[in-house]
Formats: sequence, C-alpha cells, structure tokens
Amino acid sequence: MAKILVADDSASMRQMVEFTLKEAGHQVVVAEDGQAALNLARGMTADLVITDVNMPNMDGITLIRELRALPAFKFTPILTLTTESTTEKKMEGKDAGATGWIVKPFNPEKLLMTVNKVLG
Amino acid sequence: MAAVLRPSHRLKHLRIAEFSQMGSYWDPIQNIEVVRILAGEYYATHCDEMITTVLGSCVSACIRDTVAGIGGMNHFMLPAETRPGGIPGYRGLSSDTAYGGYAMERLINCILKYGGRHENLEVKVFGGGRIMGGMTDIGLQNIEFVRAYLHTENLAVVAEDVGDNFPRRMAYFPATGKVWVKKLRNIRNETIIKQETAYLGEIRQQTAKGGDIELFGD
Repeated sequence: MAKILVADDSASMRQMVEFTLKEAGHQVVVAEDGQAALNLARGMTADLVITDVNMPNMDGITLIRELRALPAFKFTPILTLTTESTTEKKMEGKDAGATGWIVKPFNPEKLLMTVNKVLG
Repeated sequence: MAAVLRPSHRLKHLRIAEFSQMGSYWDPIQNIEVVRILAGEYYATHCDEMITTVLGSCVSACIRDTVAGIGGMNHFMLPAETRPGGIPGYRGLSSDTAYGGYAMERLINCILKYGGRHENLEVKVFGGGRIMGGMTDIGLQNIEFVRAYLHTENLAVVAEDVGDNFPRRMAYFPATGKVWVKKLRNIRNETIIKQETAYLGEIRQQTAKGGDIELFGD
C-alpha cells in the first residue's frame, strides 16, 4: 500500500482516479489544483504523485518543478495524467522532473501497473 | 446581386490551433461557416460558426463561456462494457467511465485553455436516444453519465433534449448559445446504428488499450 497525492481540477477525474487507486489498496490524498497540491505537499510525504497538466492557479508542470525543490519530494516518483499528448509538452514535463507521462483516457489496470512499476 | 463573400479563409486563420486542419464549409443560406463533427470528435471556437452533428444513442454537450466568447461541442458515448450502471455510490463515475470523462474533459479543458472560466460555463445536453435494440438502453447510460459528470463538476444544465427513441440532427452556435434540434422521427436508423456500432468498437479497443504511457527513465 502506498500513499499517493493526486492533483486534478476535474472533480470527476479525481473521483475516478481515487476510486481506481483505493480499490487497489492505496491511500489517496486529493488536491483540486497545483497550488492546493503544493500546499498539501509542504506538510506531508507521499510515495507517489499523480498530477494533471492543465489546471487553474498552478499547472502540473509548475507543480512538478515546485515539488522537486522540496527535500521530501526530490526523489518521489511523479506521473502526469493528462489529455496533452504532444512531444513538446512531454519534454516540458520531463525537463521539469516528471517520472512518466500517462495520456487520458486512462485504462484502470494499466494505470495500476504503471503505479506499481514506479513504486518499485 | 452582389456575390456572397466566403470568409472561411479568415476564420480558419483565426481558429484555435487544435482545429486549424478541421474541415468546414460555407452555408450561404445561414450565412455562416459550418463545422460537422462525427462520433468521437469535438470542436471549440471563438469564431461565429455553426457546429453540426447527428446523434443516435450518442450524446453531445454544448458548452460555452458566456463572457469570454468561446464554446464548443463534443459527440461521444460510453464504451459501456461490464458494469453498465457503474459502481453503486459513485453515480456512474467509476473507472469504467474514464473514456466519458476524457471526452467531456478535453472539450472543457480546451475552453478553459483559451480564456474560459468554470463559473461562466453554460451547458446544454442533447441525444441519448434509444435507437439500438438489445437489453441495455445505451442512450440512457450516456445521458446518466453526462448528468452525473456535470453534477460532480458542479456545472448546471440550462437546456436539454435527451432520450426517447429517435435520432437527432443538431446545430450549435457557440457565439450565441443557440441550438437547433431536428428530431429524425421518420428516417431509417440503419446508417446511424452502423456508424455508432463502428464507433463503439473503436472506443472499446481504445479503452482497453488506454492512452499512451511513457516512463522517462534516466
């Protein structure tokens, strides 16, 4: 069981991701945008972060950069879960410090496989 | 009589990047550029255009920002495989509905990306007719999903024309929010059923495969 921080501005998407991860036995903390996720991250540790890219207040790429500057999240795996699929965006995510890039629509089993893979 | 000037080249130039290649035609009677979308597609614009489609059991959400002047329409259905009603307590929004969430989100994301704001969004919903035989009312599932999705997203529906047992031809004008719906009570449904069945096969495959996953490594 891992503790996973999930950031997505869509309440429906948060529900779907949370449901998938909880069914697999993980503990899930949700945030409604990048800024909210960063505020939570400053007071917690997590085994994994899953973030959307396009969000108000703070986007996912900025969130990844900010998280990488926090000692507790310097080496934490961070996956993006997004409708963005262009190479430029992916490279932007990679440069910011993302561990992997998942394009929606997500397949629940494959999401869990990827989660297990990056958790090691 | 003066020739009607066709401003499509100007509109195409002004189109948002995602749709610069989208086909369209000039309707000289309505005096407007028309973009036709098919199942699985979506289109958003800040130009004065008309978006049309034909819906069988599929649904379309017409969404626009009433202040920023950008809006669009999608056209989709759920892959609806093993757990048609979703999981109890989740109002149909289980992981089974990830494809529907994706279809809604990419339209909303596009509107927000180009200046829309969640609190200014006006939503109208159409389609979900029962046009296919069989035990499951696929149209109803699609309607229930969209309602549950919008409820979860805290977006109110200001107008809808859904359900019943006929297809609909519809047109959406994002600049004004106006919608035209023609109920196709008297035409044969075979073509629409054939198209929707093909689309259903595609999205079941797509859902089984999921979107691309890339791990960056070192």
